[in-house]
Amino acid sequence: MAWLWFALLNEQPHGTVAAARCWDIEGRASGWLAAWSVSHDRPPGSLGIDVRAVDPGGAAAWVSLALAAPGERVLFDDPAVSWALRQTLAHWPWAAMSTLTRDSSTIGGAFTAIQASSPRALSDDPFTRLFRARVLYVDRGFVGWMPSPVGPGIQRYSGSPWPWDHFPTVTGV
Amino acid sequence: MQHDLTQVLRARPAPGETFPDLALPDHSGNPRRLSELAGGDPLLLQFYRGFWCPKEQAFFRGLVRLQDEAEVAYTRFVSVSVDPPEVAAAFRAGLGARWTFLSDADRTYVEELDLLETTDTLHRPYAPTVFTLYPDLTIHAAYNGYWFWGRPTLEELRQDFRHITRTIRPDWEVPR
Repeated sequence: MAWLWFALLNEQPHGTVAAARCWDIEGRASGWLAAWSVSHDRPPGSLGIDVRAVDPGGAAAWVSLALAAPGERVLFDDPAVSWALRQTLAHWPWAAMSTLTRDSSTIGGAFTAIQASSPRALSDDPFTRLFRARVLYVDRGFVGWMPSPVGPGIQRYSGSPWPWDHFPTVTGV
Repeated sequence: MQHDLTQVLRARPAPGETFPDLALPDHSGNPRRLSELAGGDPLLLQFYRGFWCPKEQAFFRGLVRLQDEAEVAYTRFVSVSVDPPEVAAAFRAGLGARWTFLSDADRTYVEELDLLETTDTLHRPYAPTVFTLYPDLTIHAAYNGYWFWGRPTLEELRQDFRHITRTIRPDWEVPR
């Protein structure tokens, strides 16, 4: 399984793989981050997220959540998205990062996380140049850890959220 | 007889053989394995002397140009040296490279791979060598870059990756 459904919700969700409360940078409650298996019916408004970015056993983290506006259609192949992916490959101080897929051709935003005492490093998230972003403090039980992508690839594998980097099947020599 | 056996054990990896599954820290200090880095894609595996070598700088400039093609070609690059991770990270950033650098600062593999550049007793670096690998780490081609012209041209690398990709992708021919 390469990806999960992901959403930011006002109410506590059910049937999730992982869920955790979150707060904005001023400490105001901002709802819940939630992820569901793709075998689950797609929750309304949810987006695809790289499965490695979510861990129900993960530590608390700061998250930069950059989301396209409702109805905004941005192609994954847009040069601005390619630029942001290159920036991500060149500079990876993140604990986890995933683009958020809306459908097979459009991007719904990006999820970028750090485990640090301050969210300051998230100001370098390149996707904040593309989409309106908010910084959230996310309680333990949601954010995963993943190694930096190998590089230099910026293409998605069978429509999975980047940086997931495997096709469903691989043929040997 | 023992001497002969040592020679065999330390033979440089050659085409058709499986490259050892190196376990080394990357430029951020995180432990990585070569098999994990290759994933399911063709892999360029480059051993280089160090940031200080003008020949490496010249070769890297070519690889940085090639990454603009590799980034859309489901092909991965990995560069290995004896530089510590923080030095590799600084060199990588200066080059504008967007692929993974591995650090063998302890020289864990340099003798096992028979890639020690014995003529440089100051740095004891890897001898410049480039391999193109299948996803299962089978070696497609090996290039001895001790002399600069022994290194692969970008065109040779394109040809290697075309061959590997055609072999491993069942849909190389347009699906009908």
